[in-house]
Amino acid sequence: MRQQRNDPIERAIDTLREPVELRPDFERRVMAAVASLPVPRRAGPLRLVAAWMVTARTVRLSPLGGLAAAAVVLTALLGGRALLGPGAESAPLGAPLAADGRAVQFVVAVPTASTVALVGDFNDWNAEATPMRPVPGDGIWTVLVPLGPGRYRYSFLVNGTEWLTDPTAPRTMEDDFGRPNSVVTVGGT
Amino acid sequence: MRHRLLAAVLATTALAAWHAPAQAQDPRLARRLPDEVRIPIEALIDSARARALPAEPLVDRALEGAAKGAGGERIVAAVRRLAGELGVARDALGSGSTSAELVAGAAALRAGARSDDLRHLRQRRPDRPVTVAAGVLADLVAVGVPPDTAAAAVLALAGRGEDADYIAFRRNVERDVALGATPTAALTVRLTGETLSSGDAPGPTRARKP
Repeated sequence: MRQQRNDPIERAIDTLREPVELRPDFERRVMAAVASLPVPRRAGPLRLVAAWMVTARTVRLSPLGGLAAAAVVLTALLGGRALLGPGAESAPLGAPLAADGRAVQFVVAVPTASTVALVGDFNDWNAEATPMRPVPGDGIWTVLVPLGPGRYRYSFLVNGTEWLTDPTAPRTMEDDFGRPNSVVTVGGT
Repeated sequence: MRHRLLAAVLATTALAAWHAPAQAQDPRLARRLPDEVRIPIEALIDSARARALPAEPLVDRALEGAAKGAGGERIVAAVRRLAGELGVARDALGSGSTSAELVAGAAALRAGARSDDLRHLRQRRPDRPVTVAAGVLADLVAVGVPPDTAAAAVLALAGRGEDADYIAFRRNVERDVALGATPTAALTVRLTGETLSSGDAPGPTRARKP
């Protein structure tokens, strides 16, 4: 004989602990119900992907990996906007393609510019040789330059007066003239 | 008479050909530099040519100075310094090195690498260009990796790394540094990952000779 307890929760626990009496035909009725269910179709690839996507999972990341993931999200959210200096705003849209390419794309965002030129070792540092083209409405300037294997220093020249390094590329240590350059290295193997 | 004329023409042609390098004027320099700057620079370039060093990087450096409005003395000093670095790079990398390799080697030297680092790099990649490897060395130093650590990492990858591997390695280190990792820690982590995936023993640091 159990003692009656006053706490409603404890009374509920006691109730749930009481054994349940099953009717003799319980098992037969369950099996009959199962047999009446429609046979599930074999899941296709889309269904499998959808099932995978909606299933909760544990993702393990190193602290560095977590930081990288956070940076990717932040970059996506903020559009990679970064202030570079007075009157110039640049969005890093990807470093010049440099692994083994022959045509390297240079991109910089300078919304306030009326002209942007790419100037560097590959065009005799001639400000008129490689003008960049604006992408309408975005303040983004781009140009494609064929380059052979090698290491090239370059800068962007904004409005013919303001030198700007590429925020997406390494800077050079060879700063002989008081204005740093960016560098692109094109490989061959 | 005809033989004398032919001999005179041949002698004049030979003299002109022998004398030409010392008097060669690059029209790009002539257009963009005043004579008092152009003349000493052309002398430096002639001297470099005589030592079998590439002239184009020196012309580029002078033109960069002109484009940026630098003073004449500064331009001459920059060209002289680069010529010296190209010479050291050539001695370390070998006389058969390409101009691109020497430019990258000079950049690595400027960043703080030793000529022995370039020599070892050539030894480990005897049949492959070292342009990207030397350039990545300079780039790693530029993001804050100590020169000896950067050199050790580049040498550790030298035996098997393709150019694309080097560039990916550099980008990963730069990304980690941008996210807040210290340059040395970022390089060590990335290098350990590379060496573990290849089965090589990691060796990101080493003692530097006094």
